[in-house]
Amino acid sequence: MIGFIIIVSIGALVFAAINFYGVKKKKAGTDEMQQIASSIAEGATAFLVLEYSIIIKVVALIAVLLGVVVSVSSAFAFVLGATMSALAGWIGMNIATISNVRVSNEARLTKSLGKTLRVAFRGGSVMGLCVGGFALLGLAIVYLVFGILFKQVSPENLTFRSNWLGISDIPFTMTVSAYALGCSIIAMFNRVGGGIFTKAADMGADLVGKTEAGIPEDDPRNPATIADNVGDNVGDVAGLGSDLLESYVGSLVSAMILAAYIFFSDGDIPVSLVSKLIYVPLLVAAVGILSSMIGILFLLVKKVSSNPHRELNAATFMGAGLTIISSGLVSYFVFRTEDLSSIDFAFGALSPWVCAVLGIISGIVIGRIAEYYTSYDYKPTLKIAASSQEGAALTITEGMSVGMVSVIAPVLILGTAIIAANVTAGLYGVAMAAIGMLSFVTVTVSVDTFGPIADNAGGISEMAKLHPDVRHITDKLDAVGNTTAAIGKGFAIGSATLAALSLFSSYLYGQAGENVVHGSSMMLNMINPLTLVGALVGAALPYLFSGLLIEAVANAARKMVQEVRRQFKADPGIIQGTSLPDYKTCISISSAGALSEMRLPALISVATPLISGFLFGAEFVGGLLIGTTLSSVMLALYTANAGGAWDNAKKYVEDGHYGGKGSDAHKAAVVGDTVGDPLKDTVGPSLDILIKIMAIVSVLAVSIFSKYNVFSLLVK
Amino acid sequence: MIYYYVVFFPIEAMIASQLDPKTFGSYMARGSKKGSAEQLIFAEIEPGFGDYFDWEFAKKNCVPHADGRKKHSLYLSIYRVIEHIPLVQYKNIHLVNKDGSTLPLSQEPYRDPANWDGYGLYKEHCPVHPFIASSLKPKDLADYIINDTEKKITVPAIIFSDVKRIDYSEKEKTGNIGNMFDRDLDHLLDCIDMVKNQEGKITKTIDRSFDSKFSYQIVDTGFYIAKGKSILFYPMPTREALKEIDYDWGKSANIFS
Repeated sequence: MIGFIIIVSIGALVFAAINFYGVKKKKAGTDEMQQIASSIAEGATAFLVLEYSIIIKVVALIAVLLGVVVSVSSAFAFVLGATMSALAGWIGMNIATISNVRVSNEARLTKSLGKTLRVAFRGGSVMGLCVGGFALLGLAIVYLVFGILFKQVSPENLTFRSNWLGISDIPFTMTVSAYALGCSIIAMFNRVGGGIFTKAADMGADLVGKTEAGIPEDDPRNPATIADNVGDNVGDVAGLGSDLLESYVGSLVSAMILAAYIFFSDGDIPVSLVSKLIYVPLLVAAVGILSSMIGILFLLVKKVSSNPHRELNAATFMGAGLTIISSGLVSYFVFRTEDLSSIDFAFGALSPWVCAVLGIISGIVIGRIAEYYTSYDYKPTLKIAASSQEGAALTITEGMSVGMVSVIAPVLILGTAIIAANVTAGLYGVAMAAIGMLSFVTVTVSVDTFGPIADNAGGISEMAKLHPDVRHITDKLDAVGNTTAAIGKGFAIGSATLAALSLFSSYLYGQAGENVVHGSSMMLNMINPLTLVGALVGAALPYLFSGLLIEAVANAARKMVQEVRRQFKADPGIIQGTSLPDYKTCISISSAGALSEMRLPALISVATPLISGFLFGAEFVGGLLIGTTLSSVMLALYTANAGGAWDNAKKYVEDGHYGGKGSDAHKAAVVGDTVGDPLKDTVGPSLDILIKIMAIVSVLAVSIFSKYNVFSLLVK
Repeated sequence: MIYYYVVFFPIEAMIASQLDPKTFGSYMARGSKKGSAEQLIFAEIEPGFGDYFDWEFAKKNCVPHADGRKKHSLYLSIYRVIEHIPLVQYKNIHLVNKDGSTLPLSQEPYRDPANWDGYGLYKEHCPVHPFIASSLKPKDLADYIINDTEKKITVPAIIFSDVKRIDYSEKEKTGNIGNMFDRDLDHLLDCIDMVKNQEGKITKTIDRSFDSKFSYQIVDTGFYIAKGKSILFYPMPTREALKEIDYDWGKSANIFS
């Protein structure tokens, strides 16, 4: 079994390598195109090197802490998780900066939308395959080394053990949680840092270049334009990839932890069943990756039509469909000999599968809902565009309305999935629903990464002044990328919610500790003042976090605006096209801004559960997690959908409606889009990270602050 | 080498310069240090005619700076400039975007606008700037403005362009026309109705200035320079033609999204 999982993981990475070199061997175009692409690649690499140099120190510090306070195995797992996530982000970003110019050149050479789409998707698939492959490989290694070789999954070890500090925990749960924490730390840096970088550059480029100087998007005369394209790679490729990798790992780990706790809390469960409950998530993930690989291959070998959205959907649906079939087979053949009534699985051997299917379907539905609220093919966005005729205030008002209204439908879907999964297989079922939603993450990340690659290709085509027909092709792919990004965001929020709620279940088990009795001790007492206050503080936390992020973007964007103005003033040759702008300074501003401004939000996400836990104990943190999760989900959906709708309302106007570009409606729509930019690309995605990282930190630390906290010391 | 440019918009001026049209357009739109961003319409002219402009002064003073830099601009005249320029002296006209990108338009024999619907919308650029509706086609309109002495108001020469007409009942699918029809649509329709249906009403002013709303997106057939009984015609390229001629200028002018 573990051999199959490792083979599939390595197979995904080999497939990624084939696609990597398949893209790399393509011609990179004219000298000018290569020069532009090289500037983007250098900027992206410089940022990631700077970011990773900070991450290494943070990872080393946390690893030492984990080694001392929890266990050596946790420290190793943590470093492995961080390494796997960092590798996926690094390779994904690299292939994105290699693909962009080759996509542009493919359009130049072939003038074929289908062939160009294939190169962009092949590039995106490297990130998708790396996310799936590295995440699962790392977890399989943890399972093999610590679970099997060090016998942490042996029945005698699936019990509470005290370490030298007197802290009791189930060793395997700590090890896999630490692996997830490693992934979370990288995700936080990539998502939050990348989010600030990309929007500071984007806003700086737009506010001065487009609005003040009147130069078009991606014009090489704009000093911030390379930074803007770098931002697409560090934010939308490395950031999104790490985010979904973290959710993926979080959901897998939560199911494994729950299985361990179920065994501990209910001594009647056969050992063989527990073992299966622990490794089935890995098996489902493996067949999900396999299915995704087929979906990806399908798009790479078939004759691609001129409808890119349909082609990308076909790959996604094929991945999802095959995952449904294969995970059903896994569920049936693994559990068919077990008596699952003892753990209240409603549909016998197929119960985990039913839950996974619930997750898959709800993921797809949530994605479609996001599309409905953010695409200008539907009423909500068209209404915002129409309201732009009446000025910016109404554009903002209408967009806020759309964003707020858009929250309820995905929440109802999530709620339905959670209840149905819980009825089917208890809390383990909820975790399986999260796994189901993320089981075809390989293909969804491939599609999501296609977007920024196409965006960059469009930028390179513009900057290199390629023929309008070439730019038309890359623009069309970019437009499809915008839609897939909006769908991806909805998907990321949905999966983060399920992953966080699954981890929350693990937290409750951890809080109950050795006293846990299956079903009875799993309660969060909301009328306990500590829990209630924790929930209140938790609900407020995402607003503080979001406010700081918006301020961070504004600070960095302000510096960028000043720099672009300075360059235009200092050298009129820039705007006349006779001298080149200083792109590097703008990249440095975004890099420095992102890395310095992300510290406080990052610290809040990691330190809040720890500080509040050591001050007020586990009940408070339980409330905190619930409050933060609920509040973050609403805010993330609102910001992502409102921002996406504002963005596409502007695009609708720019496509020649209500006067098109230069009209008053356009000016109002631009204001809406600018307001929405940091909301949808920085705040929304970062909230995904906030809820997961707080949950995983709490799972890891609950056994410690349950025992040692100021409040219980004072009260007692 | 000295070039002679007559600027129509936003000011009326005769300028001598050592810069070629493209560089001159960029310089005038952006300035050298002040960081301005202005649209500009100008024409290059053949010098040496008449004695209204001091050609010798230009030759003497339009020389490189001490450090070798070319002389950007030497103003020879402002105010009532175009009335002193014979039409035969005009070469290309140049449309300059806010970002300094410049599109040259060449002369072609005059032709009436296609799809005439009984009225035209016109933006006058020089020497006066109103936005008007008229029942006359461009050539007849120029003749009416310059030569119809029965009315009290005439100008000796005029530069104007005709403006796109849209389906006013469909504000959503306008195409990229900028903010031309954003406000006071009722007033516009009243004006059109007057020139189409009111006996003796040949022209009607829709807006006295309209300069801030003017963009190249709304130019329909092209630009016209008229003096006396003659008229020059500079057709505006179609979208398809512009795509091939200078796509980036079209993007800067918001003609392409």
